[in-house]
Amino acid sequence: MSIRSTDSFASRVTLVKETRRELEQQFERILGEHGAAISRLAYSYETVAGIREELTQEIALAIWQALPHFRGECSERTFIFRIAHNRGLTHVRRRRAPQQSLDELEEADEPVDTRPHLDEQLAKTNQRERLVSAVQSLPIAQKQMIVLMLESLSHAEIGEVLGITENNVAVRLTRARKALRETMGVTL
Amino acid sequence: MTNNPMTNKAMTNDRELDAWREQWSSVARPSPDFRRQVQKTIHAQHRRFWLGNLLAAAALVGTVILTVYQLSHQASRLEKGRAIGVFVLLFVAVTCRLWLMRGTWRAETRSIRAFVELWRRRVLAQIRGLQIGTYIAIGWLVFCAMLAAANWAAIRPEVVAHPTAYVAMMLSILLMLPVIWLGLMWLRRRKVRELNEVTRLLEETETMNDCQETTG
Repeated sequence: MSIRSTDSFASRVTLVKETRRELEQQFERILGEHGAAISRLAYSYETVAGIREELTQEIALAIWQALPHFRGECSERTFIFRIAHNRGLTHVRRRRAPQQSLDELEEADEPVDTRPHLDEQLAKTNQRERLVSAVQSLPIAQKQMIVLMLESLSHAEIGEVLGITENNVAVRLTRARKALRETMGVTL
Repeated sequence: MTNNPMTNKAMTNDRELDAWREQWSSVARPSPDFRRQVQKTIHAQHRRFWLGNLLAAAALVGTVILTVYQLSHQASRLEKGRAIGVFVLLFVAVTCRLWLMRGTWRAETRSIRAFVELWRRRVLAQIRGLQIGTYIAIGWLVFCAMLAAANWAAIRPEVVAHPTAYVAMMLSILLMLPVIWLGLMWLRRRKVRELNEVTRLLEETETMNDCQETTG
């Protein structure tokens, strides 16, 4: 009886270890595939580089914590964006430091492009900075819509992430795009 | 071929969207040691989680053992009363917490809106928890005072023998009371502020829905 129970305990421990290893592998893959999207999403919520890095890590951590509960009811991408936005919301509430402006974007953590056509590169950088700044300044609900749209999620997926119908997504997206366009005009 | 303004607008929109997506995709990349940092944090959190659980379990078992020991051995009425008091206090605190947290364990759906609603329910529960915590603290003080009064005969010789120590103890309790009160008020103000922010966030989402309903 005790041998059987010891065997059962040992097999359970093995099972737990295996499950954890599988989860770690899945998590590694998710970070590889969606790491850049998570970083971009953190960008929309936080302009200060150091805090943004922390937020990115918090999002990754939240995904790790939620991973055992993911049963595949929605796509992995939907699952990740939902968690990331939830964490972003929590971050917005906690944030105390004032938002910084475009200056912070100067120190964007990407390599300097040394290729020719510097004017073209500069123009692209300016356009990108305008876009990022406009996204950051949108109200939360519109910001979420726009980020999901920019990450190429379908209307159905956006609806799943935000908890609204597809029709609602279409109307809201039109409004959010208009707001983004206007804000970009203002931030020119 | 006619030039349809609607089609032109849609095409312009799509080109605009493509351009935005291209710009957006080059916004940020994770830092090189991102994965290592995350793994490190996960391991630290895992350790903290187990340590926290072990400590909580040890505290609970310790309290139960102490209560049972004091009740079964020839402890004085004062010691028995104190042990029962601590046990009842723990029981009431845990029960109240579980009761207040009803409906706040998980979101009804897995959307962001449901998350914000859950967040609001949790903050409300925390505010109620602070109120009930204040009542429990007052109740605990009354219980201590009554216990001391009921066992005054046993306490009196000790008080007479060490009057300075007892006066110091009473003074520190009297000083601690306003500190605890102020702490609770500060916590409550913070939670009310959080509640206002979450409500605003929820209203923002709902306003967009209302607009959709009126336009649709």
